[in-house]
Amino acid sequence: MVFSRRRLQSGMYLTAVVCAALALSACGSSSGGSSGGGSSAPAAHFNPNAKIRGQHITVLLPYAVPQSILNQFTQQTGVKLTYVTAGWDNVKSKLIVANTAGTYIADVTEFDWSFTGQFGGSGWYVPLESGLGPQLISDLGNVNKAFDTNGHTYAACYSNDYRLSLYNKKDFAAAGITSWPTTFSQLDSVLATLKAKHAAPYPMSLPLGATEGGLTPWYLTTLAMGGQLFDAHNKPVFGQPNSTASKALEWEIQALKKGWISPGSVTLDDTPAANNFNAGEAAILYASGPGPLATANDPSQSKIAGNAAAGLMPGMNGPGSSFGLPEGLAIPVTAQHKDAALAFIKWWLEPKTQEEMYTTGSVGFLPCSLRALKLLSKSGKLEDGQVLQAELSHIVPLFPQGAPVWYSKFDTRAQQLINAAAKGEMTPSNALSQLASYTSTLASGG
Amino acid sequence: MTGAALDEAAAPRVPDRRPPRQGRLALTLRRESTWLGWWFVAPAVIVTVALVVYPLVLGFETSIHAQAPTLTAPSKLVGAANYSDVLKDPNTVSATLHTLTYVGIALALEIGGGLAIAVVLHRAFRGRGIVLAILIMPWALPSVVSGVLWQRIFAPDNGLLNSILVNLHIIHQPEVWMANGWAIPFITLVHVWGVLPLVALILLAGLQSIPDEVYSASAVDGANAVRQFWHITLPLLRPALAVAITVGLVQAITIFDEIYVLNGTALNTASVLMQVYNSAFVDADFAHGTALAFLVALATGVFAVISLLASRRSTV
Repeated sequence: MVFSRRRLQSGMYLTAVVCAALALSACGSSSGGSSGGGSSAPAAHFNPNAKIRGQHITVLLPYAVPQSILNQFTQQTGVKLTYVTAGWDNVKSKLIVANTAGTYIADVTEFDWSFTGQFGGSGWYVPLESGLGPQLISDLGNVNKAFDTNGHTYAACYSNDYRLSLYNKKDFAAAGITSWPTTFSQLDSVLATLKAKHAAPYPMSLPLGATEGGLTPWYLTTLAMGGQLFDAHNKPVFGQPNSTASKALEWEIQALKKGWISPGSVTLDDTPAANNFNAGEAAILYASGPGPLATANDPSQSKIAGNAAAGLMPGMNGPGSSFGLPEGLAIPVTAQHKDAALAFIKWWLEPKTQEEMYTTGSVGFLPCSLRALKLLSKSGKLEDGQVLQAELSHIVPLFPQGAPVWYSKFDTRAQQLINAAAKGEMTPSNALSQLASYTSTLASGG
Repeated sequence: MTGAALDEAAAPRVPDRRPPRQGRLALTLRRESTWLGWWFVAPAVIVTVALVVYPLVLGFETSIHAQAPTLTAPSKLVGAANYSDVLKDPNTVSATLHTLTYVGIALALEIGGGLAIAVVLHRAFRGRGIVLAILIMPWALPSVVSGVLWQRIFAPDNGLLNSILVNLHIIHQPEVWMANGWAIPFITLVHVWGVLPLVALILLAGLQSIPDEVYSASAVDGANAVRQFWHITLPLLRPALAVAITVGLVQAITIFDEIYVLNGTALNTASVLMQVYNSAFVDADFAHGTALAFLVALATGVFAVISLLASRRSTV
């Protein structure tokens, strides 16, 4: 083949153009921020006069919402919406990766109470106080303080999640049990009776998998039994042999050994545990949130519709403590349309929207907004409203000083060790001892 | 003579030191061809640098710095401290032991099973094409999908395996397979189910490269099938075996999807890659996560080189 000079030059120029294009695309895909350094949360990014109609935002949350409800936002604002769901643990991983890399993931994302210390302190999210305004923040009440850190509010509460238990009234009646137990000793008797009378394949559905949902029952039981996991300085107190946390873990393991919960619980997360309850495979759903109550009574979602009721967490001498796990909507600093994202959050927080979110069985978010709660209570749509509101008075913080920056590491190790103890791979005292040692290292900056 | 001719005859002769016309063109073409070659290779080089070299350098830099609690705060250089930390972490030690178990079981099943399948498929028989297509199907499935399928089989409450074993009275009550000593073997089984077709195909290709005349000659000398297999098939199959072992080894060391789908991040089945995932993406501790990732890559590389050297030695 004979090369002419002109042909060679053309080839070189073409290749140079291609290389430049590739290099530019490689450089241009990254936006600000990296794991090695980053900026603190910038000042407010909201323009009250911004024209958002026609923009397109993405929302990433762990829970599905019917498209019919989401369409209302588009009709109201003209902003198109892509709503993406993934499992709670997967959402957290995706947020960590995307925010560390400083790349766009969504305009509105999940922001759990446990994210506040680490995510808020890392400057990954836009402070919302200027965008929401004092009136809206006040309406969200004390629950929203779970998203406050460093003098900023990083999320707006959309799910007033806390823990209580659900039970099947029909199964209880079939076993001759007339009321929900208020103490753990009464609960043990109820479980034994349910087991003996075979009212359900297993008396109780309690997740014990190596997941966040499998860890929450241990947190809850410790608090309900009158104990704490951390002292006023966020130092672990659960490592001592006779600690309440140790008794709580023993109680869960005994429930497994006595056949009160399914052996498969050691691989269960909270959603499958709730599904088992809704399928009638257990008479009690332990450590549930208020939201699943609406789902359990929805005939399209549940085989026990009409029979699910809420029960206060038992305690040692009467109803015990519970803790809040509120979830919020937040805007990453990498969001492409921050004003449209704020509009979405404000739309979600409207009492009418929150009422619809709660009463639609497949959703079931209990509102944080005091206006929305009053609306639901007034209209009689708050399922077991008296019980739900009564439980609110028993809520105590899991971390007296707020979730620390090392919570994520503690959480992962706790999931694994509690699960290992439940599976019998180590004793409960060994598991808690290891966890306490690890937590002390984290708390001291190690 | 004309005037022009007289002028030409009178002009001094300057020796022409230029290379011959043909040689000069060849040199130019060679030089330009080299440059053109570099230009054509440049996009691939840029992409490789951007997507492989740069992340490796950045990852290594992350692994030698301490992870600040708030992830965007400045981090200090700690050298090999992160590597030392991960090696001393009990979770890493147990994950390493689990991984070695996965590798041992997987390789044994893949090489043994792959060889058996390859020998069967080596001979022509009716329906061979269909069998081959069915064989490839597990390999074609993403490992996450395989994990979800097998999850239904191993489900403790209403899984197929428990149903069969209870109905056959082999067990008296359903077992939680991911919580007992069978967890790692069963997860390995799921992994092998997906990798075995590839290993079988590699060994089948190796078998098909052995000339039939060798077997004919050995038959004339009185060798039976077993002796042919031990003294002809296996030695001549060594290069393919080396490739199959390398592939199986790397796949087993990097096992992740099946574990995650079947048993999540539970300690009793965690592999080293699961430990990397936990450190980096769950704990958001990228420093320790990348340090462990580099150690895993180093170990995998060493094993792969050993396999390749063994392959080269056996082909010489």
